[in-house]
Amino acid sequence: MGEIVFKNICKSFGDTKVIENLDLTIKDGEFTVLVGASGCGKTTLLRMIAGIGPATSGELYIDGEEVTDIPPGKRGIAMVFQNYAIYPTMTVRGNIEFGLKNKKIPKSERDRLIADAAEVVGLTPYLNRMPSQLSGGQRQRVALARAMVKTPSVFLLDEPLSNLDAKLRVAMRTELIELHHRLKTTFVYVTHDQTEAMSMADTIILMDGGKIQQMAAPEVIYNDPNNIFTAQFIGTPPMNVHKMRDDVNYIGYRPEKIQIFRDKPTDCTYVRKVKVITREMLGSETLYKLQILSDAENEKEPIMSKSLDMSFAVDEEVYIGVPKEDLYYFDANKMRIRETDMLERLYCTTEGDK
Amino acid sequence: MTQYKKPNVKVLKAKKMASSFISTILKLGVCIMFAFPFFWMISTSFKTYAESLQFPPTLWPEDFTLQAYITVFEKLELGSYLMNSIILVVANTALMVVIMVPAAYVFAKYEFKGKDFMFSILMVAFMVPTCLTFISIFRMFAHANMLNSLWPQILPCICNAYGIFLLRQNFMQIPEELIESARLDEANEWQIITKIMLPMAKSTMATIIFLSVTGTWNSYFWPLVMTISDEYRPLTIAIEKLKGLESGLVWPNVMAGNLVLLLPVIVVFLFASKKIIASMAYRGVK
Ligand SMILES: Nc1ncnc2c1ncn2[C@@H]1O[C@H](COP(=O)(O)OP(=O)(O)OP(=O)(O)O)[C@@H](O)[C@H]1O
Ligand SMILES: [Mg+2]
Repeated sequence: MGEIVFKNICKSFGDTKVIENLDLTIKDGEFTVLVGASGCGKTTLLRMIAGIGPATSGELYIDGEEVTDIPPGKRGIAMVFQNYAIYPTMTVRGNIEFGLKNKKIPKSERDRLIADAAEVVGLTPYLNRMPSQLSGGQRQRVALARAMVKTPSVFLLDEPLSNLDAKLRVAMRTELIELHHRLKTTFVYVTHDQTEAMSMADTIILMDGGKIQQMAAPEVIYNDPNNIFTAQFIGTPPMNVHKMRDDVNYIGYRPEKIQIFRDKPTDCTYVRKVKVITREMLGSETLYKLQILSDAENEKEPIMSKSLDMSFAVDEEVYIGVPKEDLYYFDANKMRIRETDMLERLYCTTEGDK
Repeated sequence: MTQYKKPNVKVLKAKKMASSFISTILKLGVCIMFAFPFFWMISTSFKTYAESLQFPPTLWPEDFTLQAYITVFEKLELGSYLMNSIILVVANTALMVVIMVPAAYVFAKYEFKGKDFMFSILMVAFMVPTCLTFISIFRMFAHANMLNSLWPQILPCICNAYGIFLLRQNFMQIPEELIESARLDEANEWQIITKIMLPMAKSTMATIIFLSVTGTWNSYFWPLVMTISDEYRPLTIAIEKLKGLESGLVWPNVMAGNLVLLLPVIVVFLFASKKIIASMAYRGVK
């Protein structure tokens, strides 16, 4: 139980408005990932839910209850902070126990809960150590265990894996997903790493400048972006987007959807003659930077392509083609145009070739 | 290719030894400068009156005697003075902590109207020398009819602006998230102070308490101007009386009295020195 509803929430620090008129529902029991560039207001949002950085105006409901006047400790929330915020003068056990003691849970019960939580995150041998004697990953686990023992109805995790090395991060990612499966409570997970978002989320909330750009399941975000921001935020390298010949609307296509040919293809909607500028081997795939051979102002920017074929050489002139279903159109406000028939006609096949 | 000159190991070693020698000599010099008066005090306190006046002076008593100590304890009734000193140290330090800790916490971690103004007033109070204010304070206590008590020596001393400042600096370095985390753990403000903040400010607390204990124990000016009868005077003032104990200035008596006065401070320092030095050094690097 832990549905979170934002109603017309605003948040400002002094004169700077960070979040304006936000309406948002975070579904109960889901793993929701908040993703966005640094400074877009992710931590601010979590802090509002936790009650440690209250909204300037608006209403916030947790589990149907207006929580503005409920103190942080009584909201049924556990939070893992961006920098862990482990109490440095307490042992690992002390850290995990602190919240339980304040809840007046009896000693025997506390010991059982601590043992359980320590077991889950693999901290049992370290219970009597001081935080300064732990590695970064172990501290991370202390923060997690401390959150877990409280059996909250909402878990807030603020970039909990950002300080870990790549390997440990992947391992912890899996552990967190498993934890979610086991507890089946609401998780709100903040990250600025889109891979993390794609791999963990039931629902992704993509934010920019305090506004929600899109909120959807990972595959929807990837396949059906609402606007250019979403289209370019998710996916590496980002979607190629440039103005169309009408100079109003935009067209976009993902690097991995570009097909490269030596001979001019006939079955693609979008065909351009290009020159290979650079070639970058990634292992199984190859990244090409391509220059469209065209005098049109709107196609001056190089485009990126990710291909399984590594046989194209630098300076080679080739054709690229993108199938109709992989083309995206956006209007002058950078919002997605889903009625595309007219645009496709406007933007027909091989024009733009030299 | 460049040919690297091989460093001459012998020359290097000699240089190193020379510099460490010089530094040792300097350190010794400083130690002697600080320690000698102290040594002189001990030595004189065991001398006879005659020997203390001898010229050239003897470094260590030739005629070792405890006479000075006996005189001091017999002729001065140290008991009531000692009691006053102890009461003052305990009361001043305890009340100071009670005021200082919440004040430092609020100044470090709360936002409220007039906070900067209040803090600057505090800092001004910290900088105004007491010799400017003692007369008005004395008159205040006279009007309040409190001169015949220890209060004039307690109340003005328990707001330790310097301590509040130090502790506030220390508290400010504690990340906000720790406090927020404690709030999420359902800790109340009192628990946040005692369980989270104070354990992280241990060495600063030790320093401030040490300074307060020694400061109160050693204070001379304030008790002198704030008291009108011997009944409420601390040990330091009794020591002053040593000069007039026998006809003329008897140095061994004075020194013996001083040593009695100093002893508790030395004991406290031996217990707390590690913490104090650590906290000072910590601030030094920061
Ligand atoms: N206490 C504060 N006072 C003033 N401005 C603040 C404060 N806290 C945050 N901000 C501003 O609010 C905006 C959002 O901050 P927030 O911490 O939510 O970003 P974030 O999305 O968590 O970024 P990151 O990924 O770097 O953690 C930023 O522009 C930041 O400068
Ligand atoms: Mg953040």
